[in-house]
This record gives sequence, structure tokens and C-alpha cells, in this order.
Amino acid sequence: MSNFYYVPPEQIMKDRAEFAQKGIARGRSIVAAIYDQGVVLVAENPSASLYKISELYDRLAFAGVGKYNEFDRLREAGIRWADMTGFTYSREDVEARALANYYAQHLGDTFSNGYKPLEVEVLVAQLGNETHPTKLYRIGYDGTIADEERFAVLGGDAESIRARFHQLSTDIATLSLTLQRAISALAGTGRNIATGDLEVAILEERGVRRTFRRLSEADVDSHRQ
Amino acid sequence: MGLPLFDASNDPGPSFLAFAQAAGMRLSSGHERELSAHATTVVALRCDTGVVMVADRQATSYYVAGRDVRKIEAADAYTGIAISGSAAMGMEFIRIAQLSFEHYEKMSEMSLSLEGKANFLSPMIQNNNFSLGLMVIPMLAGWDQSRQQGRIFEYDGAGGCYERSDFATIGSGTPFAESTLRLGFRSDLTQSEALELAALAIYEAGDNDPSTGGPDFVRNLFPMMVTITEAGFVELPTDFAGATFRTILERRTASGGMAGGTLR
Repeated sequence: MSNFYYVPPEQIMKDRAEFAQKGIARGRSIVAAIYDQGVVLVAENPSASLYKISELYDRLAFAGVGKYNEFDRLREAGIRWADMTGFTYSREDVEARALANYYAQHLGDTFSNGYKPLEVEVLVAQLGNETHPTKLYRIGYDGTIADEERFAVLGGDAESIRARFHQLSTDIATLSLTLQRAISALAGTGRNIATGDLEVAILEERGVRRTFRRLSEADVDSHRQ
Repeated sequence: MGLPLFDASNDPGPSFLAFAQAAGMRLSSGHERELSAHATTVVALRCDTGVVMVADRQATSYYVAGRDVRKIEAADAYTGIAISGSAAMGMEFIRIAQLSFEHYEKMSEMSLSLEGKANFLSPMIQNNNFSLGLMVIPMLAGWDQSRQQGRIFEYDGAGGCYERSDFATIGSGTPFAESTLRLGFRSDLTQSEALELAALAIYEAGDNDPSTGGPDFVRNLFPMMVTITEAGFVELPTDFAGATFRTILERRTASGGMAGGTLR
């Protein structure tokens, strides 16, 4: 006969949160920020093919930190949700808030009911237009959803990166400036991140339906100068 | 719909159609009605810069149901897709093809090859036409990024996909358009020569086939003209199409409705 010990729910939640936080802290962080023409997403990512940032829809981008297989599945679900919604209704009906809420529900459900919480944090960014605002929704491992005002930081060391970026940027600036600030916030003092170890993408109006674009190493270098 | 999550063992992968099926969505099925599967003419020609496509704009029922129908659409930045047959099914066909190519690209962070896109359409035609009885015949033309050349693919009603090294036509005006192209085609056509020949083929089809519309000078509506080159899919402005067809019209008027002994 097995013994049953009572564990208070506070303790269960605390253990689960600690477990998820530890998993997330193992990976590197992401900064997403609004600049004067759009949204820039910057990830420290030494891999040139296993992306952390991805296109979801015409004006939506995804970013994820933590366990790759877990956030990649969320990324795929996001693309499927967006494409199906746009096909069923209209392209303009695909909106970030609805998807962010689905992510929050899924992460929240898994956190409390799953075998283990997902060790990820994800972000849904939306480039605004006449009908929808520019938005950054950050969703934590436990389903906490945050509507971030000017920038969002995801990942293990988020607090100190957030503080550094906040100090560097008090206003909405150009892409170059915002990118430089994001990179130095990610790096911290006394550390430099090589352009090859960065993954950068933007959502910006350029006269075509799809606003997502990855910046090449050469592009990023020209903005860093 | 909620968040579409799948286990790795039953994940539908980067195909939108497979996902739609897994999600329980049924694409539209046919209706019992009389359909003319070929009320249209679209031509595509290869030329030195890539491919040109020209299509008439008439939708035909028992009467002229539409005069400004777009029968060519950009399936993506480098691919044009044209349809002949049932308008409703054709529109859905184009929408699904566009969405499928984009869905694949986003899911796998990589675009499909032009040949991949061409092959993708085969089962779509098969499903459509076998279950519903010849409703849509498409044509696919584009710039092949890996081969650095324009390529054209045509299909038969059973879904067979055939690459054409010269030109292709679909729709009810095919006999007239094809004859024109056969007489005028050379393998070293420049882009402007190809556009002119393609326009002439559509003019001939419009002149002889009741289900194909010619240039409409009264409403300022002209066949749609498209180029697909290294720079991508470009729809030429109405002014250009208007001028091209006005030139043909003036020549024909001068020679009393005949081509006048030359291909023009």
C-alpha cells in the first residue's frame, strides 16, 4: 500500500513554477520593441536555422524562449489558427489578442493540470493599422498574459534585461537605435554579442500584405554602426 | 476555433489541406447544376525574361455574368495561377493554392519549389474533377528560383501535370489562341514580343469564341496582362493593356477585320 502525503496546493504551484522557471532560465532571452515604423524582435540565438522568431500572419509575429520543441509546437498551432481563421472569415479578422488568449489558456491549463508545466514563454506581436493597434502580448509559462506597452522581454534573465532596456530607451525611436538598445540590453555590461549570434526580424509596412521580414547579418550590421 | 494542437504522431505537417482535414473542415462540394467547364481563355508564354500571362475577363453563364473577372492571381511573389471553368470553384481553388503555399512557407520556414507547387495542384484537380465532374482546370506559371528561368505547367482533367517548354493555353478559346501562338511563337521572344503575341492570341479567342471576352473599349476593361520574371509577379497597368489592344484593333480595322496576311 502506498502512502499518501498531503501537499498544500501552494507548494505544488510553487514547485511547478520553480521547475518551469529553471527550464526557461537555461535558454537565452528575447527583446521585442516598438519603434517608429513597426516592431522589432531580437533574439540571442547562435543557430541560424532553429528560429525563435517566426511569421504568424500578415501583421503578426511569434517569439518563444525555453524548450524549443515546446514553443515550436505553439508556433505551429499559431500559424494554423491564423491561416484557418483568415480562410474562414477574412484576413483582417486575424487578431493578436484572440491568439494570445488561446496561448494563455493552453499554458495555464498545462501549468495546473498537465503532467509538467511547459518550460516556455511566448510573445505575440502585432503591427497596427487603422483598425487594430500595435501590440505586444507576453504569455508566461503559467498562462499569465501581459499587454506590454513599449517593449517586452522574454527569458531567464528578463528582469535585468528589462531594467537595462528601460534605462536605455525612454522614447519610441528609429529601428537602428531600438535595435542597438535591444542588443546592449541583451548583452549587459562588458559583453558583446556578435551579429552572427543574433536573430532579428521586424514587422514593418512595405507596401505588401506580409509585413514580417527577417534581417540578414548585413542588415543588422548596418543598423549597429 | 481553439488552438489547433496535435501530437507528433498525428501532426498534419506543413500542408494546409491536411490540417484542414484533421481539423474537420470540409471544403465546398459541388452542386448539381449544368456547368461549362471552359468558359475562358488564358495563355502563358515563355520569353527571355521569364513568363508572360494574358487572360480575358469575361464570366459566361447563359448571359455575360461578369466583365471584369480576374482569372490570373499571384499564388505568391513568383508564381501566377490561372483558372478556367466554374467561377466559384476556381476562386476557391486559387484561395486554397495561395494559402497552401504560404502556409507551407511559414510552417517550414522555406518556400516550396516551383515544381513542388505545380505537383501540389494535381490531387486538387483530381479530387475536384473526379467527384464533381470537370469543374476547374488551372495553369501555373512562375519564375523558378533554383533554375533561374520561367516555367509553365498545364494540367488535364485527371490532374496530370505537364510542363510546357513554349506556351500553354486553357479555356474554351484554346483552339483560336493556340493557333495564333503556334504561328507566332519563337524560342527567342523578347518580353514585349511575347506580350504582343499573347494579346493577339486573346484577341483572336475573344473574336471567335462566344465565351471569351475581348477588349472592352466602352468600359475601359482589357484582358489582364502579367509578367513573371526574376523581379517577381507584376500585373501590367490598364493603360498598357489598353494601348496594346488598341494597336491590334486599329490594325484590324485598317485591314477590314482580317489579320491582313501577317500575324498581327
